[in-house]
Amino acid sequence: MRENIKALGVLMKREIRMLAGRRIYWFVMIFAPLFCFLFFMDLLKDGLPEKLPVAVVDEDNTTTSRSLVRSLNTFAQTDVVMRTANFSEAREALQRGDVYGIFYVPADFRRDASTGGEPVLSFYTNDSYFLAGSLLYKDMRMQSNLANGAVQQTLLLAKGEGGPLLAAKLMPIVLDTHPLNNPWLSYAVYLANFLLPAFLCMFVMFTTVYSISEEIKRRTSREWLEKGNGSIILALMGKLIPQALVFTAMGMLALSMLYGYAHFPLNSGFFPMFLAMVLMILASQCFALFVTGMTRRSRIALSACALWGVLSFSICGFTYPVRSMPELAQIGSNLFQMRHYFLIYVDQALNGIPMVFSWQSYAALMVYLFLPIFILPKLKSDLLEFKYLP
Amino acid sequence: MVFWTDIYYVFKREFYAVFRDHAVLTFFVALMLGYPVVYTFIYSNEVAREVPVAVVDHSKSALSREFIRNWNATASVDVVARCEDMESARLLMYKKDIYGILEIPADFSKNVVRGEQAHVSLYCDMGALLNYKALLTAGTDVSLAMGKDIQVRGMEYATEIAEQMVSSPVRIQDVKLFNPQGGFTSFLIPAVLILVVQQSLLLGVGTITGTERDRRRRGVLLPDNRHFRRPARVVLGKAFAYLPIYFVMSYWVFFIVPRLFGMTQVGGRGELMLFLFPFLLACTFFAIAMSFFSREREMPFLIFVFTSVPLMFISGISWPKSAIPEYWVWFGKLFPSSFGIDGFVKINNTGATLSEVLPEFWGLCILMVFYFIVACLLYKREYKKLKINKG
Repeated sequence: MRENIKALGVLMKREIRMLAGRRIYWFVMIFAPLFCFLFFMDLLKDGLPEKLPVAVVDEDNTTTSRSLVRSLNTFAQTDVVMRTANFSEAREALQRGDVYGIFYVPADFRRDASTGGEPVLSFYTNDSYFLAGSLLYKDMRMQSNLANGAVQQTLLLAKGEGGPLLAAKLMPIVLDTHPLNNPWLSYAVYLANFLLPAFLCMFVMFTTVYSISEEIKRRTSREWLEKGNGSIILALMGKLIPQALVFTAMGMLALSMLYGYAHFPLNSGFFPMFLAMVLMILASQCFALFVTGMTRRSRIALSACALWGVLSFSICGFTYPVRSMPELAQIGSNLFQMRHYFLIYVDQALNGIPMVFSWQSYAALMVYLFLPIFILPKLKSDLLEFKYLP
Repeated sequence: MVFWTDIYYVFKREFYAVFRDHAVLTFFVALMLGYPVVYTFIYSNEVAREVPVAVVDHSKSALSREFIRNWNATASVDVVARCEDMESARLLMYKKDIYGILEIPADFSKNVVRGEQAHVSLYCDMGALLNYKALLTAGTDVSLAMGKDIQVRGMEYATEIAEQMVSSPVRIQDVKLFNPQGGFTSFLIPAVLILVVQQSLLLGVGTITGTERDRRRRGVLLPDNRHFRRPARVVLGKAFAYLPIYFVMSYWVFFIVPRLFGMTQVGGRGELMLFLFPFLLACTFFAIAMSFFSREREMPFLIFVFTSVPLMFISGISWPKSAIPEYWVWFGKLFPSSFGIDGFVKINNTGATLSEVLPEFWGLCILMVFYFIVACLLYKREYKKLKINKG
């Protein structure tokens, strides 16, 4: 027992020297994750994109239409950057990408509205830009409804109706929305909370596969095993524990950026997310280990991890809900570590519900920890042979 | 003449290198064939439909039931539970059986009858914004439509036209341009297509360079061979080897995939090809220049793969360009994908002509020249190293 602990110490020292001695490890473990963290925290710092450019085509050009445009401009997400009476000019601006939407007030709008001519207010959004399109859609639709209300109000007032019941006349049923735990509808909250750990997950997998395959490639794997008293478990622990520690530190950095610096909702308290982060890192190491053992070519293991890491960004359902995906993708999403991390995040940090309700996701992450068992014997014989296959 | 024989020699070697190496072929062919299909598959349903919700109806009136019925009838909503109180509804939400709760207060129908404003409350789980959007839009539609009915009912002795006038004096028409279903595929996939071309080149060329370095001692990249003396010829020879493969694969990626999955495709084919030509060249030289970072066969994964996601965001597709800090926009201009995505989306999705995407077109041409020069300089340095090693 004491021998083993001593061997573990030697192995860990050896690993730390290796990690510190090569630029590529500094890059994958420190600089690249740090770059991703800072990049996204900086990019998303406003929470919600504001002042999206729109064009207004005002063929009516009366006080009514101008006041419509003015009040459209007061919405936080809308910025009227172009006023024109010519629709095709606005359309060209839309095609050039200068504006994301067009608000169209037809000629004789005021006259038709007051005489029952039922004029049509139109608005166009460029939905090739999904986020910009849907945010502007919301503002322009709201503005059109307000226009409707304003005209109704004038008509009702002219008829002598008014007083406290006027509001009810204009809008008999009001829908009050309560976006739970993200009342600002901040996109930063839901993008950054997933993106940061997802990058970490990818780098953990790369580091695991790469550091093991380097031992084979540089023909040091036999020496490595011998230092671990010939025990593959000991050798792997000596290699992976230092890496796990570095990545846990990076994970803590990510968590403190999200919940400390940016003050994103953390309704569960710190511990559930800390646990999720540590489990996610360990699960990623074990998954990568499993893949490394399955194939003899490190390049294929790396390809698999790259595919896994990149697919995580779509299949875990942080932008597009998993429930709306095809059946096969729904089932497949359960195989991804980040899917379970994401579910924990929604339950814990965002909604702050009791941890019992997330037990399945925590348990799923723990299942990954048992994956390496299946490949240990095979990995050991690969390491002893050290036959590098390009 | 020597110029062309050198190029031909490099081209031939590189061509063999590509087709003999399964790793490179995986990037150049398999990745290009498979990746767009996987992505399109994931997003193939385009929008969130039939989001499961619970209803807590304290009013239990004909009117509240009508509201629920209409809401349930929309494509976005599926009422899977009716709860007595909010507590039990919340429990269902914890269990992720539902993603939203509609609460109708006890005085709902009383208020309507009295001519006062009635309120309903919608609580949404914010784990997925798309679900929230679907529930909200459906809820607003229903409350407006029912509101209009109530307005009309409240007007006795009015003519039909007067009723119409008061309830909706202005009609509203909304048009979602260039992405009629308002779906995910048509918005995200064009960017993915452009990125897959750039990234697969980065990975593939990086692998070739890394392998060369692995094979030669002291990590020198160039073989000791008279055909490799002039850097420009080496770069051109390599580019000529990759380009034919990418012309073929690009046709699949940019023309067949969008058609296969019924995505928006309104641009002129010729214009698109003219635009994509400098894009492919820029990507090729970019990949050759960047491959100098790859010191080993396995290294491209570690240094290139993660860049796809920041590049996606920086291009202005996922996050509107007007909200991206200026310095990131400028940083993004260093990568062919930023211009590529911009131009491709404009031509392919919004039907812009080449003259409307000239800034992107020239941007790509500048990048092409820039990275060609960078690649040449890097090879020149490599050649000097080789000479020193020999001497």
